Amino acid sequence: MRRVKIFSGTSHPGLTEAICERLGTTPGKCDLKKFSNGETSVDIGCSIRDQDVFIVQSGSAKANDSIMELLILISACRGGSANKITAVMPYFPYSKQSKKKSHRGAITARMLANLLTVAGVDHVITVDLHASQMQGFFTKPVDNLYAEPLLARWIRHNVPNWRDSVVVSKNPGGTKRVTQLADVLKLNFALITTDRRRREEEDADQIPGSEKMITLVGEVRRKTVLIVDDMIDRAGSWISAAEHVKLRGGAKKVICIATHGVFGGNCLKEMEDCSCIDQIVVTNSFPIPEDKRRGVKKLVTIDLSQLLSEAIRRNHHGKFIIH
Amino acid sequence: MATNSIKLLTGNSHPNLARKVADRLGIDLTKVLVVQYSNQETSVTIGESVRDEDVFIIQSAAPGEVNDGLMELLIMINACKTASARRITAVIPNFPYARQDKKDKSRAPISAKLIANMLQTAGCNHVITMDLHASQIQGFFNVPVDNLYAEPSMLRYIRENFDYRNAVIVSPDAGGAKRATAIADRLDLNFALIHKERSRPNEVSRMVLVGDVQDKLAILVDDMADTCGTLVKAAQTLKKHGAQEVVAIVTHGILSGSAIESINKSELGRIVVTNTVPHGEKKKRCPKLHTIDIAPTLAEACRRTHNGESVSFLFSHAPT
Repeated sequence: MRRVKIFSGTSHPGLTEAICERLGTTPGKCDLKKFSNGETSVDIGCSIRDQDVFIVQSGSAKANDSIMELLILISACRGGSANKITAVMPYFPYSKQSKKKSHRGAITARMLANLLTVAGVDHVITVDLHASQMQGFFTKPVDNLYAEPLLARWIRHNVPNWRDSVVVSKNPGGTKRVTQLADVLKLNFALITTDRRRREEEDADQIPGSEKMITLVGEVRRKTVLIVDDMIDRAGSWISAAEHVKLRGGAKKVICIATHGVFGGNCLKEMEDCSCIDQIVVTNSFPIPEDKRRGVKKLVTIDLSQLLSEAIRRNHHGKFIIH
Repeated sequence: MATNSIKLLTGNSHPNLARKVADRLGIDLTKVLVVQYSNQETSVTIGESVRDEDVFIIQSAAPGEVNDGLMELLIMINACKTASARRITAVIPNFPYARQDKKDKSRAPISAKLIANMLQTAGCNHVITMDLHASQIQGFFNVPVDNLYAEPSMLRYIRENFDYRNAVIVSPDAGGAKRATAIADRLDLNFALIHKERSRPNEVSRMVLVGDVQDKLAILVDDMADTCGTLVKAAQTLKKHGAQEVVAIVTHGILSGSAIESINKSELGRIVVTNTVPHGEKKKRCPKLHTIDIAPTLAEACRRTHNGESVSFLFSHAPT
């Protein structure tokens, strides 16, 4: 593509290279480092005057550093007279903080959207925002791509007897997301709810065993269960949901499917060690470091580079985007 | 009930300084819970109501964790804004990214301007800072900025701790000459300047001293000491020119990387910094490191801002 430069932040260089390869180009030269005092420094090594600039930056284990790097990159491109700057953020950081949960909590996702605008971004491409309403946080256009077709394709190709499986949402909030996948695959659907109020009462009585307050709505007996959500961050709810459908519900096999594999802390290890989970499927929207991946056999990653590169190509040529 | 009183908040970057300021103001710090989730995202919960209050948030840039400190500050400002605070003042003693304030190469970002925009976007109504690397950074903001000076505190320290009548004020580079001459004028002392001569890039630069330091106490004055390369070299040059003793007095002692080691090995007799940047255990590792407490200045600035009094008094006087 002519008059296009694709830059990569330090968070996910592998994905950028895959995208560039699909577009038949190479990532633009830019030097990213940190000064000894911890400030981020950006040095763009090629001319970007009047060009379309795409900056690929996901979250990472150093969330705030990635954000600052992206903002400074955008601002450097703005200062370097780029024509149009698009931030490609496969995983949108802080997307869980998208509402005022407690009194006096910050709506950090909205603030981040504003910060991107202030830095000088013209367009944002992201994948599976935690809530699609978050598009309203931006004053610039946002393309919220869906990983769902890729997940559906993976299920059709890789799950034996996928027609005989059930899609399960592990919390009522994610139901809408999950029913969409069930509709596409024409599968049955079940729902797990966790009663927090009852858990507190039980804690007071010191009764162990967390299954009691979990309720399963729907039939999973002798079926393959696909537990679906938008991200895997902490293992707790996934493990308790998997244990519930397998031990109580009598499910044959449990596959955990999410778009963003954030895997904070020891999450991946805990899920690997859980005997009730048979497979973990995520996309490569979020970088998973090698040392976390080591020894993990259940993990499957789906490549997003095709989706993102197509979005970049269509954006550049001004074609519409089919979700 | 809202009383429109001062609410002082702090993040994790420099709680010590915040506590000192709170003590000076005779108030308690507002309870804030700032934690990092397991995925390293920052979360902020403000523990008491700030509705219709005058909120001051103290956050410095701790070396090594600049970006985390900055995001903490932005999220705290945003949380106060959504919690209907009447006015939000960011007290940033050491303004981060202050040195990236110009387009010195092609396509270099003006990150200081970006930070200014970000603070305003988060909902900041007023900024109090100290010894900005370049005063022009004030112009990056559309909200009022009070740039306080550490100079009065430094002057007092020099008067009380050095035999300053036999001293020469030295600027380690041409850019800091103005700052150094101001101090020299106030103390009625002579002034010298070190000029870095760079014949070719990446070559060891030669330092040229302009002025006389023979048998004198040379006081190096600068706004920022980061890796301390310049200060150490300047001290060498001054000793070579016959200075009796060399000391450095610096506003922001970031002291990152191997700064402490190079100071310990250097000709510097003493390095005096203010507590705009947290030092933690660095003081134990470096007996030459001395601190000036600037919490009184910050506290007074907060008090005056809150009461709508003039802050200019602080430009020439250090409260005790």
